[in-house]
Amino acid sequence: MSGSAAWHDVGSLEELERGGRLVARVGRREVGVVRDVWTGSLHAIRNRCPHSGGPLCLGLVRERETGTPGRYALTGRRVLRCPWHGWEFDLDTGRCLDDPELAAAVYPVRVDAGRVLVQA
Amino acid sequence: MIDCDVHPQIGDVEGFLAYVEPAQREWFRRQGPTLGLPGYPWSHPISWFRQDVEGDAGPPGAVVEDVRRDVLEATSADLGILNADDAIAVSLMPSPYRAAALARAHNDWLREQWLDREPRLRGAIVCPAQDPRAAADEIRRVAADARFVQVLLCGGSERPYGDPRYLPIFEAAVECELPVAIHSGGEGMGIAAQPGGAGPPTFYVEWHTLGSACSTMAHLVSLLCHGTFDRLPGLRVMLLEGGVAWLPGILWRLDTNWRGLRAEVPWLERKPSEAAREQVRLTTQPLEHTDGRDDLLFELLEAVGAPDILCFASDYPHWDFDDPAFVLRRLPESWRQQVLHANAAAFYGDRLGG
Repeated sequence: MSGSAAWHDVGSLEELERGGRLVARVGRREVGVVRDVWTGSLHAIRNRCPHSGGPLCLGLVRERETGTPGRYALTGRRVLRCPWHGWEFDLDTGRCLDDPELAAAVYPVRVDAGRVLVQA
Repeated sequence: MIDCDVHPQIGDVEGFLAYVEPAQREWFRRQGPTLGLPGYPWSHPISWFRQDVEGDAGPPGAVVEDVRRDVLEATSADLGILNADDAIAVSLMPSPYRAAALARAHNDWLREQWLDREPRLRGAIVCPAQDPRAAADEIRRVAADARFVQVLLCGGSERPYGDPRYLPIFEAAVECELPVAIHSGGEGMGIAAQPGGAGPPTFYVEWHTLGSACSTMAHLVSLLCHGTFDRLPGLRVMLLEGGVAWLPGILWRLDTNWRGLRAEVPWLERKPSEAAREQVRLTTQPLEHTDGRDDLLFELLEAVGAPDILCFASDYPHWDFDDPAFVLRRLPESWRQQVLHANAAAFYGDRLGG
């Protein structure tokens, strides 16, 4: 995002912790903030799945699996899983891990005095 | 031109029985001409065979002279690959011990009665897939003869071939540097699962439409989902006589489902269609008729890797065979050399010789 984009207040940290996410309109788009509960980090992602338009930020943050044929393993990598079709997105880059052609926009996010701010 | 699917018939049953181990020979003799292989509950209404050719001894394709005349000379094939016929279904016999004996007999019969007599023919290894360790033993035994160019599995099966019970078969094939061919047929017969997934069909026309295509799809999807191609990077699979027009649809469907359901098969790093494109080939026969829209068929196939993935097959001596001249006319000109020759030559490699 351009450095000149403004910071927008999208809700309180308390609300995010209670509901697991925040979704707010920023200009003409919806942006969601989700929390990686393992690290506590916050991630702001456009609330529109680039696959078929689902409300991406209403999906689960979960740990992505890997493995070798017949054996399951965990990657340690948290992803956002779209609530519509289950395609998974990298929390930091917004890149779809199941289709490299697709990415959701991601935005800088910070907390200031209990308010969650997104630069978009 | 390489004909990837020719079916030698067992015309002389008594001659064949000489290849069965003595302790089991009487059992097989008592089964009559079927040799105890599971039969078709759906029977062709007229004949399984082309009606324009006669065999020198029994049905067409029962002796090497028939294949020499009707395939190698009539169609200018440089090489033909012999993929058994009813004996493909040894793996559907209730007894794996009978199946192993019949498979051994068939492989030895093929070597002596066919490969020794005609240098332009190559063989496929029949194996008792219902007992995968015995099948693997048979593959290792026969693979020493370089004229056998692939392992042959039946479309009809107890479970789709990605199931880990079948791994010894695929491991043995890769160890012997042999591809695995899966030939449609046998669906709903013997111990095989029913074709189609909606209960037994009524007619042969239904069976022939669905059974062979559905089992081919099921094996392909199963092998892809189980990650068999990742587990065995040297594995190459040839799908015989299962049709081709469905391929784009099933691969697109699988790729889409993989994206949303990958948690179930998280070992699949590659998009399934990519593994298919690299490690799977299909034979053309029976190339679906398109009511004049071959352009659409070939454009769709191109999207999933054609022409690289297609190899010509005639299916001699069956009623639904494809004449190479007919297929040649239909194929885009730029595909012809690859489909008729180069793709199979690359796939089978050194064992084709010449």
